[in-house]
Amino acid sequence: MRRTLFVALLLLALPAFARAGKLVPLSAADVPALLKPPAHGMRILAIWSLDCAYCEANMQTLAKWQRTHPHDIELVTVATDDVAQGAALEARLKAAHMEAYPALAYVEGSPERLDFLIDPDWGGETPRTEIIRSDGTRQGISGEITAAQLQGLP
Amino acid sequence: MRNLITILLCLLSFTAVAHDMPGMAMAGGPALGASAAFDAHGRLWVVDAANGHVRLRHSDDLGRTLSLPVDVNAVAEPIYDSGENRPKIAFGPKGELYVSWSQPRAKPWTGFVRFARSLDDGAHFSAPLTVHHDTAEITHRFDALAVDGQGRVLLAWIDKRDLEAAKARGEPYLGAAVYYSWSSDEGRTFVPERKVMDNSCECCRIALARTPDGGIAALFRGVFGDNIRDHAYALLPTNGGPVHAARTTFSNWHIAACPEQGPGLAVGEDGTRHAVWYEASHGPAIWYGQLDPGHPPQHVLKLAGPGASHADVAVRGKTVWLAWNQVAANGYALMLRVSTDGGLHFDAPRAIATSVAAAGSPQLLVWHDQASIAWNTADGFRLVSSGAR
Repeated sequence: MRRTLFVALLLLALPAFARAGKLVPLSAADVPALLKPPAHGMRILAIWSLDCAYCEANMQTLAKWQRTHPHDIELVTVATDDVAQGAALEARLKAAHMEAYPALAYVEGSPERLDFLIDPDWGGETPRTEIIRSDGTRQGISGEITAAQLQGLP
Repeated sequence: MRNLITILLCLLSFTAVAHDMPGMAMAGGPALGASAAFDAHGRLWVVDAANGHVRLRHSDDLGRTLSLPVDVNAVAEPIYDSGENRPKIAFGPKGELYVSWSQPRAKPWTGFVRFARSLDDGAHFSAPLTVHHDTAEITHRFDALAVDGQGRVLLAWIDKRDLEAAKARGEPYLGAAVYYSWSSDEGRTFVPERKVMDNSCECCRIALARTPDGGIAALFRGVFGDNIRDHAYALLPTNGGPVHAARTTFSNWHIAACPEQGPGLAVGEDGTRHAVWYEASHGPAIWYGQLDPGHPPQHVLKLAGPGASHADVAVRGKTVWLAWNQVAANGYALMLRVSTDGGLHFDAPRAIATSVAAAGSPQLLVWHDQASIAWNTADGFRLVSSGAR
Protein backbone atom coordinates (compact mmCIF):
# COMPACT_ATOMS: atom_id res chain seq x y z
CA MET A 1 0.00 0.00 0.00
CA ARG A 2 2.81 2.33 0.93
CA ARG A 3 4.29 1.62 -2.50
CA THR A 4 0.97 2.37 -4.24
CA LEU A 5 0.84 5.72 -2.53
CA PHE A 6 4.38 6.39 -3.62
CA VAL A 7 3.44 5.67 -7.25
CA ALA A 8 0.39 7.89 -7.02
CA LEU A 9 2.53 10.71 -5.66
CA LEU A 10 5.10 10.05 -8.36
CA LEU A 11 2.42 10.28 -11.03
CA LEU A 12 1.50 13.69 -9.69
CA ALA A 13 5.09 14.81 -9.62
CA LEU A 14 6.23 13.33 -12.92
CA PRO A 15 6.40 15.51 -15.95
CA ALA A 16 3.21 15.43 -17.93
CA PHE A 17 4.68 13.78 -21.01
CA ALA A 18 5.23 10.57 -19.05
CA ARG A 19 1.51 9.85 -19.33
CA ALA A 20 0.39 9.26 -22.89
CA GLY A 21 -3.06 9.67 -24.37
CA LYS A 22 -4.39 12.66 -22.45
CA LEU A 23 -3.70 16.34 -22.93
CA VAL A 24 -1.69 17.47 -19.94
CA PRO A 25 -0.40 20.88 -18.90
CA LEU A 26 3.20 21.95 -19.45
CA SER A 27 4.50 24.59 -17.04
CA ALA A 28 7.93 26.17 -16.80
CA ALA A 29 8.88 23.71 -14.05
CA ASP A 30 8.21 20.74 -16.38
CA VAL A 31 10.48 21.95 -19.19
CA PRO A 32 13.83 20.56 -17.89
CA ALA A 33 12.37 17.03 -17.75
CA LEU A 34 10.89 17.43 -21.21
CA LEU A 35 14.28 18.48 -22.57
CA LYS A 36 16.29 15.78 -20.74
CA PRO A 37 17.99 13.56 -23.34
CA PRO A 38 16.27 10.18 -23.72
CA ALA A 39 18.13 6.96 -22.79
CA HIS A 40 18.50 6.09 -26.45
CA GLY A 41 17.46 7.42 -29.85
CA MET A 42 15.74 10.76 -29.82
CA ARG A 43 12.73 12.60 -28.49
CA ILE A 44 10.94 14.80 -31.01
CA LEU A 45 8.68 17.60 -29.90
CA ALA A 46 6.07 18.44 -32.54
CA ILE A 47 5.15 21.96 -31.39
CA TRP A 48 1.91 23.33 -32.78
CA SER A 49 -0.90 25.82 -32.17
CA LEU A 50 -4.59 26.15 -32.98
CA ASP A 51 -4.00 29.10 -35.33
CA CYS A 52 -1.27 27.31 -37.27
CA ALA A 53 -2.23 26.24 -40.79
CA TYR A 54 0.80 23.95 -41.28
CA CYS A 55 0.96 22.15 -37.97
CA GLU A 56 -1.29 19.15 -38.52
CA ALA A 57 0.54 18.21 -41.71
CA ASN A 58 3.84 18.63 -39.86
CA MET A 59 2.89 16.39 -36.93
CA GLN A 60 1.46 13.78 -39.29
CA THR A 61 4.73 13.72 -41.24
CA LEU A 62 6.63 13.26 -37.97
CA ALA A 63 4.21 10.55 -36.81
CA LYS A 64 4.62 8.64 -40.06
CA TRP A 65 8.38 8.84 -39.65
CA GLN A 66 8.17 7.81 -35.98
CA ARG A 67 6.24 4.68 -36.96
CA THR A 68 9.13 3.59 -39.14
CA HIS A 69 11.51 3.97 -36.16
CA PRO A 70 9.22 3.00 -33.26
CA HIS A 71 11.99 2.00 -30.84
CA ASP A 72 14.30 4.93 -31.52
CA ILE A 73 11.95 7.90 -31.67
CA GLU A 74 9.71 9.18 -28.91
CA LEU A 75 7.23 11.66 -30.41
CA VAL A 76 5.46 14.17 -28.17
CA THR A 77 3.03 16.88 -29.33
CA VAL A 78 3.20 20.25 -27.56
CA ALA A 79 0.49 22.87 -28.09
CA THR A 80 1.48 26.46 -27.38
CA ASP A 81 -2.15 27.40 -26.69
CA ASP A 82 -3.22 27.49 -23.08
CA VAL A 83 -4.45 24.18 -21.74
CA ALA A 84 -7.72 25.98 -20.92
CA GLN A 85 -8.48 25.41 -24.60
CA GLY A 86 -8.14 21.68 -23.97
CA ALA A 87 -11.37 20.66 -25.68
CA ALA A 88 -10.44 22.38 -28.95
CA LEU A 89 -6.88 21.06 -28.75
CA GLU A 90 -7.95 17.47 -28.16
CA ALA A 91 -10.54 17.65 -30.96
CA ARG A 92 -7.86 18.89 -33.36
CA LEU A 93 -5.39 16.17 -32.29
CA LYS A 94 -8.07 13.54 -32.76
CA ALA A 95 -8.98 14.87 -36.21
CA ALA A 96 -5.28 14.65 -37.12
CA HIS A 97 -5.13 11.03 -35.82
CA MET A 98 -2.51 12.05 -33.27
CA GLU A 99 -4.28 10.89 -30.10
CA ALA A 100 -1.91 7.93 -29.62
CA TYR A 101 1.00 10.25 -28.83
CA PRO A 102 1.67 11.98 -25.53
CA ALA A 103 0.18 15.46 -25.80
CA LEU A 104 1.13 18.53 -23.82
CA ALA A 105 -0.30 22.05 -23.80
CA TYR A 106 1.15 25.20 -22.30
CA VAL A 107 -0.25 26.39 -19.03
CA GLU A 108 0.58 30.08 -19.42
CA GLY A 109 -1.40 33.17 -20.38
CA SER A 110 1.05 33.89 -23.20
CA PRO A 111 3.44 31.41 -24.82
CA GLU A 112 6.68 33.42 -25.03
CA ARG A 113 8.29 32.35 -21.77
CA LEU A 114 7.77 28.64 -22.39
CA ASP A 115 8.88 29.09 -26.02
CA PHE A 116 12.09 30.64 -24.70
CA LEU A 117 12.66 27.92 -22.09
CA ILE A 118 12.20 25.17 -24.69
CA ASP A 119 14.59 26.86 -27.13
CA PRO A 120 15.89 30.44 -26.82
CA ASP A 121 16.70 30.44 -30.52
CA TRP A 122 13.05 29.98 -31.41
CA GLY A 123 10.78 33.02 -31.84
CA GLY A 124 7.52 31.14 -31.37
CA GLU A 125 6.59 30.41 -34.99
CA THR A 126 4.75 27.13 -35.48
CA PRO A 127 5.15 24.40 -36.50
CA ARG A 128 8.41 23.99 -34.63
CA THR A 129 10.19 20.65 -34.42
CA GLU A 130 12.63 20.18 -31.54
CA ILE A 131 14.91 17.16 -31.64
CA ILE A 132 16.57 16.00 -28.42
CA ARG A 133 19.09 13.20 -28.94
CA SER A 134 20.36 10.71 -26.37
CA ASP A 135 23.89 12.11 -26.78
CA GLY A 136 22.64 15.48 -25.56
CA THR A 137 22.70 17.26 -28.93
CA ARG A 138 19.74 19.42 -29.95
CA GLN A 139 18.26 20.67 -33.19
CA GLY A 140 15.35 23.01 -33.83
CA ILE A 141 13.49 23.41 -37.12
CA SER A 142 10.88 26.10 -37.76
CA GLY A 143 8.20 25.56 -40.40
CA GLU A 144 6.74 22.47 -41.99
CA ILE A 145 9.52 19.89 -42.03
CA THR A 146 10.82 18.94 -45.46
CA ALA A 147 11.73 15.47 -46.69
CA ALA A 148 15.38 16.52 -46.83
CA GLN A 149 15.29 17.77 -43.22
CA LEU A 150 13.64 14.54 -42.11
CA GLN A 151 16.29 12.42 -43.81
CA GLY A 152 18.99 14.46 -42.09
CA LEU A 153 17.67 13.80 -38.57
CA PRO A 154 19.19 10.42 -37.59
CA MET B 1 -4.02 5.32 3.49
CA ARG B 2 -6.67 4.09 1.04
CA ASN B 3 -8.58 7.32 1.53
CA LEU B 4 -5.51 9.34 0.77
CA ILE B 5 -4.97 7.47 -2.50
CA THR B 6 -8.62 7.99 -3.43
CA ILE B 7 -8.23 11.71 -2.83
CA LEU B 8 -5.11 11.80 -4.97
CA LEU B 9 -6.83 9.94 -7.81
CA CYS B 10 -9.83 12.25 -7.55
CA LEU B 11 -7.49 15.21 -7.83
CA LEU B 12 -5.94 13.70 -10.94
CA SER B 13 -9.29 13.02 -12.60
CA PHE B 14 -10.61 16.46 -11.64
CA THR B 15 -7.65 18.02 -13.39
CA ALA B 16 -8.38 16.00 -16.51
CA VAL B 17 -12.08 16.89 -16.48
CA ALA B 18 -11.43 20.57 -15.92
CA HIS B 19 -9.22 20.72 -18.99
CA ASP B 20 -11.96 19.14 -21.09
CA MET B 21 -14.57 21.81 -20.53
CA PRO B 22 -15.01 23.89 -23.66
CA GLY B 23 -14.82 27.62 -23.29
CA MET B 24 -13.66 27.40 -19.71
CA ALA B 25 -11.93 30.54 -18.57
CA MET B 26 -8.40 29.84 -17.52
CA ALA B 27 -7.45 29.96 -13.90
CA GLY B 28 -5.67 33.30 -14.23
CA GLY B 29 -8.84 35.07 -15.45
CA PRO B 30 -9.43 36.59 -18.88
CA ALA B 31 -6.91 35.98 -21.66
CA LEU B 32 -4.28 38.65 -22.18
CA GLY B 33 -5.50 39.96 -25.55
CA ALA B 34 -6.45 43.56 -24.73
CA SER B 35 -6.35 46.92 -26.52
CA ALA B 36 -6.33 50.43 -25.11
CA ALA B 37 -6.90 53.97 -26.39
CA PHE B 38 -7.15 57.49 -25.02
CA ASP B 39 -10.24 59.51 -25.87
CA ALA B 40 -10.08 63.24 -26.69
CA HIS B 41 -10.36 64.12 -22.99
CA GLY B 42 -7.46 61.92 -21.89
CA ARG B 43 -9.59 59.17 -20.40
CA LEU B 44 -8.00 55.75 -20.95
CA TRP B 45 -10.23 52.98 -22.28
CA VAL B 46 -9.40 49.26 -22.31
CA VAL B 47 -11.16 46.37 -24.04
CA ASP B 48 -10.55 42.68 -23.52
CA ALA B 49 -12.73 39.56 -23.51
CA ALA B 50 -14.17 37.51 -20.66
CA ASN B 51 -16.87 34.84 -20.62
CA GLY B 52 -18.01 35.51 -24.17
CA HIS B 53 -18.23 39.28 -23.81
CA VAL B 54 -15.95 42.00 -25.01
CA ARG B 55 -15.74 44.14 -21.92
CA LEU B 56 -14.96 47.82 -21.73
CA ARG B 57 -13.29 49.53 -18.81
CA HIS B 58 -11.97 53.06 -18.39
CA SER B 59 -9.50 54.84 -16.16
CA ASP B 60 -9.15 58.48 -15.12
CA ASP B 61 -5.87 57.92 -13.27
CA LEU B 62 -3.65 56.59 -16.08
CA GLY B 63 -4.55 52.96 -15.56
CA ARG B 64 -3.95 52.73 -11.81
CA THR B 65 -7.63 51.95 -11.26
CA LEU B 66 -10.13 50.72 -13.84
CA SER B 67 -13.89 51.12 -13.82
CA LEU B 68 -16.23 48.16 -13.51
CA PRO B 69 -16.55 46.48 -16.91
CA VAL B 70 -19.40 47.17 -19.34
CA ASP B 71 -20.34 44.41 -21.79
CA VAL B 72 -20.02 45.54 -25.41
CA ASN B 73 -21.96 42.56 -26.77
CA ALA B 74 -25.06 41.88 -24.64
CA VAL B 75 -25.39 38.32 -25.95
CA ALA B 76 -22.35 36.15 -25.25
CA GLU B 77 -20.48 34.76 -28.24
CA PRO B 78 -17.07 33.15 -28.81
CA ILE B 79 -14.30 35.77 -29.05
CA TYR B 80 -10.69 35.45 -30.14
CA ASP B 81 -8.59 37.01 -27.39
CA SER B 82 -4.95 36.14 -28.03
CA GLY B 83 -2.15 38.67 -28.33
CA GLU B 84 -2.25 38.81 -32.14
CA ASN B 85 -6.02 38.53 -32.42
CA ARG B 86 -7.43 40.70 -29.66
CA PRO B 87 -10.44 43.00 -29.36
CA LYS B 88 -9.79 46.52 -30.71
CA ILE B 89 -10.94 50.01 -29.71
CA ALA B 90 -10.84 53.35 -31.54
CA PHE B 91 -12.52 56.75 -31.29
CA GLY B 92 -14.28 58.88 -33.88
CA PRO B 93 -13.86 62.67 -34.11
CA LYS B 94 -17.00 63.33 -32.04
CA GLY B 95 -16.13 60.79 -29.35
CA GLU B 96 -17.84 57.87 -31.07
CA LEU B 97 -16.52 54.70 -29.43
CA TYR B 98 -15.84 51.86 -31.85
CA VAL B 99 -15.03 48.27 -30.90
CA SER B 100 -14.19 45.31 -33.13
CA TRP B 101 -13.26 41.69 -32.55
CA SER B 102 -13.02 38.36 -34.32
CA GLN B 103 -15.53 35.66 -33.53
CA PRO B 104 -14.42 32.00 -33.91
CA ARG B 105 -16.89 29.82 -35.78
CA ALA B 106 -17.30 26.08 -35.31
CA LYS B 107 -14.66 24.94 -37.78
CA PRO B 108 -10.92 25.37 -37.17
CA TRP B 109 -9.38 28.66 -38.38
CA THR B 110 -12.78 30.20 -39.17
CA GLY B 111 -14.05 33.53 -37.95
CA PHE B 112 -16.31 36.53 -38.54
CA VAL B 113 -15.22 40.12 -37.99
CA ARG B 114 -17.60 41.78 -35.54
CA PHE B 115 -18.20 45.45 -34.76
CA ALA B 116 -20.23 47.52 -32.30
CA ARG B 117 -20.36 51.24 -31.52
CA SER B 118 -21.40 53.47 -28.65
CA LEU B 119 -22.45 57.08 -29.13
CA ASP B 120 -22.86 57.76 -25.40
CA ASP B 121 -19.36 57.18 -23.97
CA GLY B 122 -19.79 53.45 -23.61
CA ALA B 123 -23.08 53.50 -21.69
CA HIS B 124 -24.89 51.65 -24.50
CA PHE B 125 -23.66 49.72 -27.52
CA SER B 126 -25.30 48.90 -30.82
CA ALA B 127 -26.05 45.24 -31.47
CA PRO B 128 -22.87 43.74 -32.96
CA LEU B 129 -22.80 43.42 -36.73
CA THR B 130 -20.71 41.25 -39.00
CA VAL B 131 -18.60 43.61 -41.07
CA HIS B 132 -18.03 41.53 -44.21
CA HIS B 133 -20.78 40.65 -46.65
CA ASP B 134 -19.24 37.23 -47.32
CA THR B 135 -20.95 34.82 -44.90
CA ALA B 136 -19.05 31.62 -45.73
CA GLU B 137 -17.77 29.77 -42.65
CA ILE B 138 -14.14 30.45 -43.45
CA THR B 139 -11.34 32.64 -42.11
CA HIS B 140 -12.28 36.30 -41.65
CA ARG B 141 -10.32 37.19 -38.55
CA PHE B 142 -7.32 39.08 -37.14
CA ASP B 143 -9.32 42.31 -37.47
CA ALA B 144 -7.55 45.67 -37.36
CA LEU B 145 -9.48 48.89 -36.67
CA ALA B 146 -8.71 52.55 -37.46
CA VAL B 147 -10.52 55.86 -37.98
CA ASP B 148 -9.35 58.09 -40.82
CA GLY B 149 -9.09 61.89 -40.91
CA GLN B 150 -12.64 62.16 -42.24
CA GLY B 151 -14.05 60.05 -39.44
CA ARG B 152 -14.52 56.96 -41.58
CA VAL B 153 -14.19 53.66 -39.70
CA LEU B 154 -11.88 51.22 -41.47
CA LEU B 155 -11.48 47.54 -40.75
CA ALA B 156 -8.97 45.19 -42.35
CA TRP B 157 -8.70 41.45 -41.73
CA ILE B 158 -7.25 38.15 -42.95
CA ASP B 159 -9.65 36.36 -45.29
CA LYS B 160 -9.45 32.93 -46.95
CA ARG B 161 -12.17 33.24 -49.61
CA ASP B 162 -9.60 33.26 -52.41
CA LEU B 163 -7.81 30.25 -50.93
CA GLU B 164 -11.13 28.37 -50.75
CA ALA B 165 -11.98 29.32 -54.34
CA ALA B 166 -8.57 28.18 -55.53
CA LYS B 167 -8.91 24.90 -53.65
CA ALA B 168 -12.32 24.35 -55.29
CA ARG B 169 -10.69 24.84 -58.68
CA GLY B 170 -7.86 22.50 -57.71
CA GLU B 171 -5.31 25.29 -57.92
CA PRO B 172 -2.52 26.10 -55.46
CA TYR B 173 -2.81 29.24 -53.32
CA LEU B 174 -0.25 30.21 -50.69
CA GLY B 175 -1.45 31.81 -47.47
CA ALA B 176 -4.64 33.87 -47.18
CA ALA B 177 -5.62 37.38 -48.37
CA VAL B 178 -6.16 40.74 -46.68
CA TYR B 179 -9.54 42.44 -47.19
CA TYR B 180 -10.90 45.72 -45.87
CA SER B 181 -14.10 47.67 -45.60
CA TRP B 182 -15.15 51.04 -44.24
CA SER B 183 -18.10 52.90 -42.86
CA SER B 184 -18.97 56.50 -43.73
CA ASP B 185 -21.91 56.64 -41.32
CA GLU B 186 -20.18 56.31 -37.94
CA GLY B 187 -20.16 52.53 -38.04
CA ARG B 188 -23.85 51.99 -38.80
CA THR B 189 -23.14 50.21 -42.09
CA PHE B 190 -20.03 49.00 -43.91
CA VAL B 191 -19.41 48.97 -47.67
CA PRO B 192 -18.83 45.62 -49.40
CA GLU B 193 -15.29 44.51 -48.66
CA ARG B 194 -12.40 44.90 -51.08
CA LYS B 195 -9.19 42.95 -51.38
CA VAL B 196 -5.90 44.55 -50.38
CA MET B 197 -3.64 41.70 -51.51
CA ASP B 198 -3.63 37.99 -52.29
CA ASN B 199 -1.21 35.68 -50.46
CA SER B 200 -0.96 37.18 -47.01
CA CYS B 201 0.30 35.33 -43.96
CA GLU B 202 -2.49 33.47 -42.14
CA CYS B 203 -2.12 34.51 -38.52
CA CYS B 204 -0.15 37.70 -38.03
CA ARG B 205 -1.86 40.90 -36.94
CA ILE B 206 -2.29 43.73 -39.45
CA ALA B 207 -0.96 47.17 -38.47
CA LEU B 208 -2.99 50.24 -39.48
CA ALA B 209 -1.79 53.84 -39.16
CA ARG B 210 -3.09 57.26 -40.19
CA THR B 211 -1.08 59.11 -42.82
CA PRO B 212 -0.54 62.92 -42.81
CA ASP B 213 -3.33 63.44 -45.36
CA GLY B 214 -5.79 61.58 -43.15
CA GLY B 215 -5.78 58.28 -45.03
CA ILE B 216 -5.13 54.86 -43.51
CA ALA B 217 -2.10 52.73 -44.38
CA ALA B 218 -1.77 49.01 -43.73
CA LEU B 219 1.35 46.94 -43.05
CA PHE B 220 1.05 43.17 -42.91
CA ARG B 221 3.01 39.98 -43.45
CA GLY B 222 2.66 38.58 -46.95
CA VAL B 223 3.75 35.44 -48.73
CA PHE B 224 6.03 36.25 -51.63
CA GLY B 225 7.16 33.73 -54.21
CA ASP B 226 7.71 30.32 -52.67
CA ASN B 227 6.69 30.95 -49.03
CA ILE B 228 8.89 33.96 -48.37
CA ARG B 229 7.24 35.71 -45.41
CA ASP B 230 8.11 39.39 -45.79
CA HIS B 231 5.80 42.38 -45.39
CA ALA B 232 3.57 44.43 -47.68
CA TYR B 233 2.48 48.06 -47.37
CA ALA B 234 -0.69 49.52 -48.88
CA LEU B 235 -2.83 52.63 -48.58
CA LEU B 236 -6.50 51.73 -48.14
CA PRO B 237 -8.47 54.00 -50.48
CA THR B 238 -12.05 54.96 -49.64
CA ASN B 239 -12.83 56.66 -52.96
CA GLY B 240 -13.20 53.50 -55.06
CA GLY B 241 -9.66 53.77 -56.41
CA PRO B 242 -7.43 50.73 -56.82
CA VAL B 243 -5.32 49.31 -53.98
CA HIS B 244 -1.59 49.10 -54.62
CA ALA B 245 0.11 46.75 -52.18
CA ALA B 246 3.90 46.64 -52.44
CA ARG B 247 6.49 44.44 -50.78
CA THR B 248 8.33 46.56 -48.26
CA THR B 249 10.65 44.23 -46.30
CA PHE B 250 13.22 41.97 -47.95
CA SER B 251 14.58 39.62 -45.30
CA ASN B 252 13.73 36.59 -47.51
CA TRP B 253 12.58 34.52 -44.55
CA HIS B 254 11.51 31.36 -46.35
CA ILE B 255 9.20 29.31 -44.18
CA ALA B 256 5.91 27.38 -44.18
CA ALA B 257 4.87 28.46 -40.71
CA CYS B 258 2.68 30.81 -38.72
CA PRO B 259 4.94 33.35 -37.02
CA GLU B 260 2.02 34.85 -35.04
CA GLN B 261 3.98 38.07 -34.88
CA GLY B 262 2.59 40.88 -36.98
CA PRO B 263 4.33 44.21 -37.59
CA GLY B 264 3.85 47.68 -36.12
CA LEU B 265 3.44 50.91 -38.10
CA ALA B 266 3.39 54.63 -37.33
CA VAL B 267 3.50 57.37 -39.98
CA GLY B 268 5.09 60.70 -39.03
CA GLU B 269 3.76 64.15 -39.91
CA ASP B 270 6.50 64.29 -42.56
CA GLY B 271 5.23 61.05 -44.10
CA THR B 272 8.07 58.86 -42.79
CA ARG B 273 6.77 55.32 -42.38
CA HIS B 274 8.24 53.96 -39.13
CA ALA B 275 7.87 50.20 -38.85
CA VAL B 276 8.86 47.29 -36.60
CA TRP B 277 8.71 43.66 -37.63
CA TYR B 278 9.81 40.16 -36.70
CA GLU B 279 11.61 37.60 -38.84
CA ALA B 280 13.92 34.66 -38.20
CA SER B 281 15.88 34.12 -41.41
CA HIS B 282 19.08 34.10 -39.31
CA GLY B 283 17.63 33.48 -35.86
CA PRO B 284 14.82 35.38 -34.19
CA ALA B 285 15.13 39.16 -34.67
CA ILE B 286 13.01 42.27 -34.32
CA TRP B 287 13.81 45.12 -36.68
CA TYR B 288 13.06 48.82 -36.97
CA GLY B 289 13.15 50.52 -40.35
CA GLN B 290 11.64 53.34 -42.40
CA LEU B 291 9.57 51.87 -45.20
CA ASP B 292 10.10 52.69 -48.85
CA PRO B 293 7.46 50.45 -50.48
CA GLY B 294 8.87 48.52 -53.42
CA HIS B 295 12.40 48.97 -52.06
CA PRO B 296 14.28 47.80 -48.95
CA PRO B 297 13.56 49.87 -45.85
CA GLN B 298 15.95 52.62 -44.76
CA HIS B 299 17.67 53.27 -41.42
CA VAL B 300 17.28 49.61 -40.49
CA LEU B 301 18.16 48.68 -36.91
CA LYS B 302 18.09 45.28 -35.25
CA LEU B 303 16.24 45.98 -32.02
CA ALA B 304 16.53 42.65 -30.33
CA GLY B 305 17.15 38.95 -30.84
CA PRO B 306 16.19 35.78 -28.94
CA GLY B 307 13.37 36.23 -26.45
CA ALA B 308 12.06 39.46 -27.98
CA SER B 309 8.54 39.63 -29.34
CA HIS B 310 5.52 41.73 -30.32
CA ALA B 311 7.08 45.14 -30.93
CA ASP B 312 5.09 48.34 -31.43
CA VAL B 313 6.07 51.80 -32.68
CA ALA B 314 4.75 55.35 -32.22
CA VAL B 315 5.87 58.74 -33.51
CA ARG B 316 5.16 62.36 -32.61
CA GLY B 317 7.19 65.06 -34.29
CA LYS B 318 10.83 63.92 -34.24
CA THR B 319 10.31 61.51 -31.35
CA VAL B 320 9.99 57.81 -32.18
CA TRP B 321 9.22 55.23 -29.49
CA LEU B 322 9.79 51.49 -29.87
CA ALA B 323 8.44 49.00 -27.31
CA TRP B 324 8.60 45.23 -27.14
CA ASN B 325 8.48 42.27 -24.76
CA GLN B 326 11.74 40.63 -23.77
CA VAL B 327 11.34 37.28 -22.09
CA ALA B 328 13.89 35.45 -19.97
CA ALA B 329 13.69 32.31 -17.87
CA ASN B 330 12.32 34.24 -14.89
CA GLY B 331 9.70 36.38 -16.63
CA TYR B 332 9.01 39.32 -18.91
CA ALA B 333 10.51 42.77 -19.32
CA LEU B 334 8.83 45.61 -21.19
CA MET B 335 11.59 47.21 -23.25
CA LEU B 336 11.77 50.72 -24.70
CA ARG B 337 14.03 52.62 -27.07
CA VAL B 338 13.54 56.26 -28.01
CA SER B 339 14.81 58.42 -30.86
CA THR B 340 14.62 62.20 -30.79
CA ASP B 341 15.90 62.71 -34.34
CA GLY B 342 13.13 61.06 -36.34
CA GLY B 343 14.46 57.51 -36.09
CA LEU B 344 18.04 58.10 -37.25
CA HIS B 345 19.48 57.19 -33.84
CA PHE B 346 17.95 55.47 -30.82
CA ASP B 347 19.00 55.46 -27.18
CA ALA B 348 20.04 52.20 -25.50
CA PRO B 349 17.32 49.63 -24.78
CA ARG B 350 15.98 49.81 -21.25
CA ALA B 351 13.47 47.80 -19.26
CA ILE B 352 10.68 50.09 -18.04
CA ALA B 353 8.62 47.36 -16.36
CA THR B 354 8.93 43.70 -15.48
CA SER B 355 6.46 40.91 -14.79
CA VAL B 356 6.91 37.40 -13.44
CA ALA B 357 3.39 36.65 -14.71
CA ALA B 358 2.63 36.20 -18.41
CA ALA B 359 2.41 39.44 -20.42
CA GLY B 360 0.39 40.34 -23.51
CA SER B 361 1.59 42.35 -26.50
CA PRO B 362 2.59 45.91 -25.58
CA GLN B 363 0.72 48.76 -27.24
CA LEU B 364 2.21 52.26 -27.50
CA LEU B 365 -0.23 55.12 -26.86
CA VAL B 366 0.52 58.82 -27.32
CA TRP B 367 -1.42 61.49 -25.46
CA HIS B 368 -0.36 65.15 -25.51
CA ASP B 369 3.02 64.19 -26.99
CA GLN B 370 3.73 61.80 -24.10
CA ALA B 371 4.02 58.09 -24.80
CA SER B 372 2.89 55.32 -22.52
CA ILE B 373 2.59 51.61 -23.03
CA ALA B 374 -0.53 49.55 -22.40
CA TRP B 375 0.75 46.26 -20.97
CA ASN B 376 -1.73 43.60 -19.97
CA THR B 377 -0.24 41.00 -17.66
CA ALA B 378 -1.78 38.01 -15.91
CA ASP B 379 -1.47 40.10 -12.73
CA GLY B 380 -3.58 42.90 -14.24
CA PHE B 381 -3.59 45.74 -16.76
CA ARG B 382 -0.83 48.35 -16.50
CA LEU B 383 -0.18 51.64 -18.23
CA VAL B 384 3.58 52.15 -18.12
CA SER B 385 4.98 55.64 -18.70
CA SER B 386 7.75 55.85 -21.29
CA GLY B 387 9.64 57.82 -18.63
CA ALA B 388 9.49 54.93 -16.17
CA ARG B 389 12.74 53.34 -15.05
